[in-house]
Amino acid sequence: MIAPVSTNPLTIASAAPPIVDLGLRIETPENVVLTYTLAGPTLRAGAYLIDFALQMVLLTLAAGLVFCAAFVAPNIAFGLLLVFWFALSWWYFTLFEALWNGRTPGKWAVGLRVIQDKGYPVTFWAAVGRNFLRAFDSWPFYAPAFVSMLLNRRFKRLGDLLGRTVVVCERNVVLPREPVIVERIDPLPRDEISGRPPEARTLSLIDQFLGRRHLVSIPRGHDIARPLALALAKQLRYSGEPSLVEDYPMAFLARVYVTYLRRDEEEPETTRWAGNAIRPAAVVTFP
Amino acid sequence: MTKRQFLKRRRADWRRFEQVIAAANSVKPKRLNGKQVTEFSRLLRVVSHDLAVVRGHGWDLRLESYLNDLASRGYNSFYRAPPGTTNQIVRYFTSRFPRLMRQNFGYVLAGCALFFLPFFLSWGLVVARPELIHRVVPGEALEQIDQSFGEKSPLGEPESGIGWTPGYAEERTGMFGFYIAHNIGIAFKTFALGITFGVGTVVTLLYNGIAIGAIFGYAHSEGYGPRLFSFAVSHGSFELVAIGISGGAGLILANALVHPGSRTRWESLVVRGLDAVQVAVGAGAMLAVAALLEAYWSPAPIPAVFKYIVGGMLWLLVFAYIAFAGRGPDAEAVTEIGRTENGGAGELRRWNDDRRIGAT
Repeated sequence: MIAPVSTNPLTIASAAPPIVDLGLRIETPENVVLTYTLAGPTLRAGAYLIDFALQMVLLTLAAGLVFCAAFVAPNIAFGLLLVFWFALSWWYFTLFEALWNGRTPGKWAVGLRVIQDKGYPVTFWAAVGRNFLRAFDSWPFYAPAFVSMLLNRRFKRLGDLLGRTVVVCERNVVLPREPVIVERIDPLPRDEISGRPPEARTLSLIDQFLGRRHLVSIPRGHDIARPLALALAKQLRYSGEPSLVEDYPMAFLARVYVTYLRRDEEEPETTRWAGNAIRPAAVVTFP
Repeated sequence: MTKRQFLKRRRADWRRFEQVIAAANSVKPKRLNGKQVTEFSRLLRVVSHDLAVVRGHGWDLRLESYLNDLASRGYNSFYRAPPGTTNQIVRYFTSRFPRLMRQNFGYVLAGCALFFLPFFLSWGLVVARPELIHRVVPGEALEQIDQSFGEKSPLGEPESGIGWTPGYAEERTGMFGFYIAHNIGIAFKTFALGITFGVGTVVTLLYNGIAIGAIFGYAHSEGYGPRLFSFAVSHGSFELVAIGISGGAGLILANALVHPGSRTRWESLVVRGLDAVQVAVGAGAMLAVAALLEAYWSPAPIPAVFKYIVGGMLWLLVFAYIAFAGRGPDAEAVTEIGRTENGGAGELRRWNDDRRIGAT
């Protein structure tokens, strides 16, 4: 079994059901669970503005060419401009998305991609459908699209409903570095903790938090860390100095991390797996 | 295995897969040979497996999201639709599009009726009571019609073609662009407005029927009739029928929303919607043909009788296309098998079921 996946680490730490969740969970026919981050109205509006600007630039360039050509053959030039305008307004998004695997220049710049509901690339006819409905979605000021996006869980505008598509964020694929090793920090004394050990996910969250602690000021960092520190102190039945948890929650989290990380790394794998209720789910069944 | 050992052992494969995906996603993807396909498939499985392992252990959220991204990109590239071929486009026009029109014949008929009934009605009414035209068509538009089809028309005499203005030919290319942008735009909008439970589609069809019919009635009552009819008969076949068909496509959407049956309204829209899209695109193509005819054939300086003969044949051609094109042995079945072979994955039935609607 695979634990429910959310892209928001806080929901994992607190195990509360997410109220608004940008995560989209797709189970492929090969039983691989993939998660995507849905793109909200703001990102999509940004991508649209870039596309719109590009369309305007192209149209202006074409109009400039036509203006020059108009001295030779005004009607032919004007006719071609109209054809170009038609192609731009009805086929720009459609053809880019269909031929460039769900991206337009604006979506590419913002890091968005259109995919089908089930995770595979957008098909030609779905791209046509979702972009032809722009004619209705976009009038006035994309208001119908916006209302539709608010009314369903996957931020679909009407065109997305028709084409069975969703727009997802593409994060940059960067292999994370090794976990932070906090050499100078002492583990908590064993006689001060007696409760259930923290989950691996919680440790991973602490690792990430400590790795980025320099991004906020120290008091702010303590403020952010305090709720988790208090919850962990309760879970571990921590009986040591209470001011460590109250006043220096970051330090407490670091010590918890070091305590259990060291234990993790030192123990042989059999005991570790046996002691862990979650098993690796490696059901991958395609040839 | 600890996390660190795991990272050390698996990293090489992940790096390799990053490269493979980058190559597959490049602007001009190269065709992979058998060995590369095997490698792609192996790495996709490896990464999917690693993703499950990392998730199961809850090792690291960033590592998890890294592997998730690798796997989803790989999945996206692996199941990419085979590139479109000229053959597919030809098959769309020779069989897929006419078949879809026959499958949805009721809608197409209703769309045409919503256009042609008000068309003939307002034509007849304006002939009977010419003052009615001013309620429908503004004065400037009437002046334009006077110019185009009146005594001083650049089209010349309809019986012989004498009096045809030479400079007119160059002007027609400008008009061609206008016909493309304007007419096809209207057809696509008529389709898209089907999402308003059909209200927008029906209004557009009725409005266009009434306006165009009124103009015909006006020309008729002013005595421009022969010139206009010989001009319009050829391209009218494709143009007017295509407007009706695009309306039919909009009505498919509308009916999916109004009568969803046992599905929810949005599901019903999805199931019927991609048929409608394909019909609408076909209507757009018919309008492109009409624009060519209207720009270069319809105003040709030849006696009207030829235009009536050719125009009549074009009407028959349109009806024959809708009625007969693409009948015979099923070309679609071949596509499905081809698609299956291309997929290369085990669980194809589910996959195909999902894709069939989107398939050309």
